[in-house]
This record gives sequence, structure tokens and C-alpha cells, in this order.
Amino acid sequence: MPGSMVAMTQPVQQSFNPYTENGGTILAIAGSDFSVIAGDTRQSEGYSIQTRYAPKVFRLTDKAVLAVNGFAADGNMFVKKVKQRLEWYRHAHAKDMPIRAIARLIQTMLYARRFFPYYVYNILGGIEEDGTGAVYSFDPVGSYERETCRAAGAAQSLVQPFLDNQIYFKNQTPAAGTQFPQHLPLTSVLPLVIDSFTSATERHIEVGDGLEIYVVVASGSTSLQGLQNLRGVQEVTGTTDGERVFVIRRELKKD
Amino acid sequence: MNTFVDLYSTTSATAQLRRAQKITEEENEEFSDGSWGSQAGFGTIVKGGPSFMVPNVPDPTSFLRLHTDDHADPSCRIKIQHGTTTLAFRFQGGVIVAVDSRATAGSYIASGTVKKVIEINPYLLGTMAGGAADCQYWETYLGMHCRLHELRNRERISVSAASKYLSNLVYSYKGMGLSMGTMICGWDKTGPAVFYVDSDGTRMKGDLFSVGSGSTFAYGVLDQGYRWDLTDEEAQELGRRSIYAAGHRDAFSGNTCNLYHVKENGWQFVGNYDIAKMHYEGNGTGAGPYGYEPRITGEN
Amino acid sequence: MNSSSIYRPAGFDFSNEIRNNFLHEKGLPLPGATSTGTTIVGCLFKDGIVLGADTRATEGPIVADKNCEKIHYITESIRCCGAGTAADTEFTTALISSNMEMHALQTGRKPRVVTAMTMLKQMLHRYQGHIGAALVLGGVDITGPQLFTIHPHGSTDKLPYVTMGSGSLAAMAMFESSWKPNMEREEALTLVKAAIAAGIFNDLGSGSNVDACIITATGTEMLRNVEMPNQRVQKERDYKFRRGTTAWRKEDIRQLIVQEHTKPVGGDEMDTS
Repeated sequence: MPGSMVAMTQPVQQSFNPYTENGGTILAIAGSDFSVIAGDTRQSEGYSIQTRYAPKVFRLTDKAVLAVNGFAADGNMFVKKVKQRLEWYRHAHAKDMPIRAIARLIQTMLYARRFFPYYVYNILGGIEEDGTGAVYSFDPVGSYERETCRAAGAAQSLVQPFLDNQIYFKNQTPAAGTQFPQHLPLTSVLPLVIDSFTSATERHIEVGDGLEIYVVVASGSTSLQGLQNLRGVQEVTGTTDGERVFVIRRELKKD
Repeated sequence: MNTFVDLYSTTSATAQLRRAQKITEEENEEFSDGSWGSQAGFGTIVKGGPSFMVPNVPDPTSFLRLHTDDHADPSCRIKIQHGTTTLAFRFQGGVIVAVDSRATAGSYIASGTVKKVIEINPYLLGTMAGGAADCQYWETYLGMHCRLHELRNRERISVSAASKYLSNLVYSYKGMGLSMGTMICGWDKTGPAVFYVDSDGTRMKGDLFSVGSGSTFAYGVLDQGYRWDLTDEEAQELGRRSIYAAGHRDAFSGNTCNLYHVKENGWQFVGNYDIAKMHYEGNGTGAGPYGYEPRITGEN
Repeated sequence: MNSSSIYRPAGFDFSNEIRNNFLHEKGLPLPGATSTGTTIVGCLFKDGIVLGADTRATEGPIVADKNCEKIHYITESIRCCGAGTAADTEFTTALISSNMEMHALQTGRKPRVVTAMTMLKQMLHRYQGHIGAALVLGGVDITGPQLFTIHPHGSTDKLPYVTMGSGSLAAMAMFESSWKPNMEREEALTLVKAAIAAGIFNDLGSGSNVDACIITATGTEMLRNVEMPNQRVQKERDYKFRRGTTAWRKEDIRQLIVQEHTKPVGGDEMDTS
């Protein structure tokens, strides 16, 4: 065969491409004493849906929840390794790692792959040691920052401007003699999260199928009342020493 | 497959990385004892340096560039944040460090609240331009080594030594794709000091530097207003005004200005200033807006 | 020949082609056209044709139109579903529709589906695939029900059931498992709806509603949005902004109605001599 002769004689440069983009969107919002971390559950490649239920948000401890978005294989492996390191920490210190330490841990783990990056955008949400709500967002090689709200993933550019307007009140002027609140209550944050995802589903083809919202509440928070009578809420707290974690699952459009 | 070649070659990226790790002291296992406990990735600091995973391909550097270099290929997957204006200058009253707070990925503003001044320790500041993660990680790492220097030598590290440590460190990774342009600022025995260090290996002592896509705009304001005997207030205003000018004219810089002042007993954070607010309302000291409005209305 | 300098040939203008190809090679991305990443189908049944289409138009991963029409009018008894570049399908079908009308007036007969098919394939072939239209053409004429697919380069197929667009595999799966000859009208419509639904739910390029069109010898029935399985859910809250939310720099009120006062001025009359 003439074709195989060419292959035998001439070396072929093969580019190594271990990355794909699996769509989906994640977002997190910090309140004064709670944190909300949400993600859709669709996993896609090109125009095909690989699965309608692939969680992107993971409970790490009772005070920390991690959302991962980008290349699903890297994301799942990364979460697995973070969980492993947290387990080791528990064995060494008989307590959960505080969230600011988890954030630094994630930085070093991502940066250890500076020359072969995890193609993953991480958002870490939870409760700080002082009881305040926290959101940390990361780039694929580990630069991070503590913020009040952050969207990442396919529909980032659709959701983030909405959040900037509704959470940070960007481009809004307050009525004379009043000020916009620094932190919103959980009862106003949850509708914003749900509306962000239903709207992103409308206009972005890679977002849809299902929505998982994790809510981490500081011990003794008044936000608990708003959660109890909510539709489809489930508690996933692991211990009894303070912070509580809840999941709210909702359906999104499937087209 | 490449291990034998790599072992004896002096130019391959993996060999270079191995040599770089010798500088930060080599660590062969994937997880050292330190990683089991609470010391995060830095647990290895006393005995070994950080270790990096490298793809098993003939040319890892071009692999990295293929997937992360958005200058050559705007559609690359992993977008590393770029675009910045940072400045630092020495004057009679210490060092002024002023930076913007915008991070861009292509034409998208990834963040408007980035902390581009890295507080290495209470008397050393580093600025961030280029790869955000590179600056954050290595300047944090530098901070730990500065502390070790203090413990070993019972005195604070000089700005010169700290910047040289960083410079040698990034130089050992030269060509591997690190991207940072930083100013190491502080006050030591010799007085106020500013050093420019970048990932090419350049290290320069100087009075006045500006780094980033908006640096030309910042220099314009900085150069015409700079004097050694500036008062503290004048110097701070000059830093603020220069970052405002860059934020106003450079699309990749903006949002807010973070201002620091390094004095004899360490740095202090002066404030965070909204650039749009400075344009329309001024910096809050009652000096009037920075925009053209007052000049135009004056004309009328 | 006195007007040769301003003469322009009819049809497409290719004068920028070499420049654009050069720029493209240099790495300048071409501006993206709205593409109807689509599911379109056609199906033969006992006494006619059923055509089907989804209603999503996309620009990359963004939904540009949630309820667009992809079943285009050719003649009263011939319709054409379009996939590919939205502008190309739109204008190609409109042009052929116009030519078919002319043809009908010229011949004094009802034009045939093959005529439209030939016109389309010849036009698409002439442009060597640069017109990105993938079409499903169906109708009923003197020879009975006819169903064709036309690919962007001009090749055609004549089959009893066809699918095209990014959702064609999902839709074809429904046809391959359930299509049978001589179906009743309702049966065929149900199958077409199921095929489009398969595209809507399993292909990201397709979505929103189902359009269908039933063409028989007795008439054509356009069923716009026969199925609407993806209605927008109620928002959790409303987003009305308080009056005064938008900041302003200055206020300036102008009278938009021009008030004109005519004052007759005396004097000499206009000299008209």
C-alpha cells in the first residue's frame, strides 16, 4: 500500500491534546453568615449531551463546598485529590481544615501543575473561621481571590454581569439618603441563583437539565428559617458541630 | 520513552526543570511528608522545593504554549489572566506603590477586584503583572524564604537580596512559560528601595518603574510629576493620578486603584479608589474630578 | 461601452475574496454567520409529505432566536426546510420560490418538486459549497408526493424519510425504528414530531418548539409550533428598577415640536415679468 509507505518513512508530528471542554456553569455567592454554591448538572461535548446528571458541586467539609467547571475529567480528579488531602489533614489534626487554608491548598495543588495545567475553573464557597460567608475563585493555574460573588464556565459572561448588577448593585444609584446593603439575605440570594440558571439555560446551549444549589449556613444563623420550608431541600451535614450544609435540587430545561 | 534522553540532555525542558528544582532543592516523591499534614504544598520548604508535574511529551514547553498562550491563539482553552498597570517609585518619604485591579481574559473582564499588590511581609511588597498565578505563588514563596532568612540571620532580608532570590528563581525556569513583571518594594538598611524583576531574568534597581499594558500612560503622568522631594500627600496623589490615567486610556486596565506607601517601619495601605469615581467626582479629598469636565466648563 | 467603469455583474461580488482569504490565513477570524444548528426532517406517508423542523437558531453556543421559522415557502404545494447558514437558506429558498412562481406563470402549469430541486442543486453546485445551505425539499405535484435532500455542494437524495442538520442522527434514529410505508396522516405527523423532539432534546444545536407542515394533493397545512415542550418557567422574582436608578450627568429639556411664526412682510410683489 503506498499510503503505509509514506507513514513508515516520514515522521509525523502528532500534537498532544488531552483537553476538552465539557460546558456547564457554576456560581457562588457569599452572604454575611452563609454561602451559596450552585452548578447545573449537564455535561456535554460539542453538540452532544454526555449525561444530564454529572454533579459539578461537591461538599468537602461541613464548612466548605467546591464547584469545578471546565474539563470534567480533570475536575473530577482534582476534587478527588483535594478530598484526599482534607482526609489526611483530618487524620493529622482531628479537625476540618479551615476554608482559607483549603483555598491556599487548592492554589498550591493547581500551581503544582503549572506546566501541565488542570483545565478547571474552581470556585470554593463556605464559612470562614470567624463565621462569615466566603467565596474564593481560582484560575486554572491557581491564582485566587476572595470575593462576594463569582460565576464561571460556559455562561460566565451571561451570569456575571447580572450578578454584578443584582449583588454589587453595579450601574444602580440608590435612592437619596439610602445605601445598598453590603450583604443580601438568603431569601433574596436563592431567587437570584435560580433565575441566573433558568436564564442561562434559555440562551446558552451548554447549560440545562438540572440545578444543584448547596447552601452552607454558619451555626446559629437566622438564614436557617428560610431554608426549612423550601421545596426540594435536603440536609447533607456530616457532623453536629455548627455549620450545616443543604442541597436544593431543581429541574432545568432539557433542550 | 524520553527519560534516557532527558537524563543526559542539557537543553530539554524536563532537564531544565530538574535543574530548576535543584535550586529550590529537589523533591523526588510526588507527596512529601509535609503534604500529609497541615503545611500544604509548602511543607517541603525546609528540606525540599516544590515539584511540578510535566506532560510526558517531547516538548512540554510548546505543549504549554499550545494550550495557554492566548496572544498567539485567542481560541486557546486555558486563559491566563493578563493586562495590568502597576507602578512604584522611590522618593524622600519612602516608596509609593500603586496598581489597578482589572484582570482580563481576551476581551472579557474576568475580575475588577484583583489584589495586584502582594504583601510579602510587613516591610516588603511585590506587584503583579503578567500571569496572576505566577506572581501570587512565587511571591508567597519568596515571603517564606524571607522569613527563613530572618530566622537564620537574625535580621531582615534586604530588598536587594529578596529581589535577587526571586530573580534567580524565575531565571531557572526561563523559557518554560512563566510570565511575570514585578516590582519588589521595601525599606531596608539602605533606605527605600525598588527593584524590577521579570520572568526573562531581568533585575534592575531604580527610582521609578511602571509595568504592564497601561504603563506608557502611567509613565506620562508619573514622569512629569516626579521629584525626589515630593511630600507624602503629593506622592500618593501622583501614584493615584498615574493609575487613573492608565485606567482611563488602556482598555486592559481599570476598575479601581490600590495605593500603598512603604515607610521606614513597614508598608501601609493608603486606600482603594474607584477610577470612574475619580473621573467624575475626584478622589474624595475635595480636590475635584480628574476628568475633563472642570476644564471644559471653565472654558465656557 | 461608455458605462463599463460602473458596470457590475449580477449576483455575488467576489472582489474581496482574495483579500479575505489572505487575512484569514494570517489568523484573522472570519465574522461568524448565524447558523441554524438544526434538526429538520421530511417523511413520506400514504397521501403526502410531512416536513418538520425545530425552532432554535444559534450563534456559536448562544441561542440567537428561540422561535425561528425553518420551513420556507417555495410554492403553495412545495415547502423547503433549511439547515446551515441562516442567511443562505433564507435567501436561496426565497430566490427559488420567486423563480418557481415565474416558471409557473411562464408555463401555465403547477410546477413540480423536481423543478425546484434541480434549480436548487444547480445553484448550490455553481457556488461550490460556499452557500452553506442544507435543505429538505418536499411537496406534492402531478407526479405525486416527492421528498428530496439537497446538500450544500449540490448533491441530492430522493428517499422516503430524510433528516438533516446537527440533530439529523437523533431524528434519523426515530425514523429508522418507527417508519413504515403507507402511514396514515396522523401517524406520520406523530412520527415527525417525535423525530424533531429527539433532535430538540438530544442535540444541543436544536431546541425550543416543533414546526410541522403537511402537504397533500388537497392542500398544505402549516403547523407552526405544533408542540411547545420548552416553555420558559416563571421567574422567581421580578426585576423592575426604581425610578431614578440610572445615574445622569445633566438634564436638558428641549421642545421637540417646532413652533413657527410666520410674519407677513409687506413690500414689492415678486417680479414675475
